[in-house]
Amino acid sequence: MFQGLKSKLNDMGTVKLLCERAETHALLDQQREPGAEHFLLAALDLPDGTARLAFEKVGAEPDALKAAIERQYADALRAIGLAADVPAGTPMPAKPGLYQAASSGREIMQELAAGRKDHGPLLGAHVVGLVAGMSHGVAARSLRALGVDPAHLKSAADAIVDVAQAKA
Amino acid sequence: MLDLHTITVPTDPEEALAAVVALRRLADNIERQAVRSALSQGWPWSRIAQALGITKQAAHKRLSGVAADMSST
Repeated sequence: MFQGLKSKLNDMGTVKLLCERAETHALLDQQREPGAEHFLLAALDLPDGTARLAFEKVGAEPDALKAAIERQYADALRAIGLAADVPAGTPMPAKPGLYQAASSGREIMQELAAGRKDHGPLLGAHVVGLVAGMSHGVAARSLRALGVDPAHLKSAADAIVDVAQAKA
Repeated sequence: MLDLHTITVPTDPEEALAAVVALRRLADNIERQAVRSALSQGWPWSRIAQALGITKQAAHKRLSGVAADMSST
């Protein structure tokens, strides 16, 4: 019982850190509401290191994700014949009031909450597995721009979660 | 000047929708830069709103962060 309570408290701390980092990445990306791609970047910041491990398992450089997100925007514009690099501007100020995520970000948070019935601590690899399971959107296109097969990344992340849960 | 006739809409929905997302982001970026420029030149929100074709309240709600951002730098 004590172990379960401790795990829940740890999870709350992880969720708080994940949401804060996702918001920071969104604001740096000049967006008010974090999307799945910002939660993926946030997962790479988590101290458990399992999100980075999942990327490394499929031969991807975690620190290259941010550039890949930018690149997929430029690629999408180029596909319609528009060569426009959007210069990085100043980060947006945080929006006062309740925390709000973009639709894809909300999807990740809802799935994380639904999956919390599982035993074991919440890990960055959980987030990677969920985001890699999304077939469309900025996050999916960014992973493809990074040269990552989302299905492989999901398998790697799920395997890391399984090992961590077996140890817990 | 961009010739809109050179814009081609991809037939693949995935590519076309990706372009829509990227264009919205580009437009948002241009809008914030333009509003920052207008505010620094002393434009009131009513004039900015009129130029954007939206109400003053809508302009302020959506873009007041630009003003906050300017005052913090």
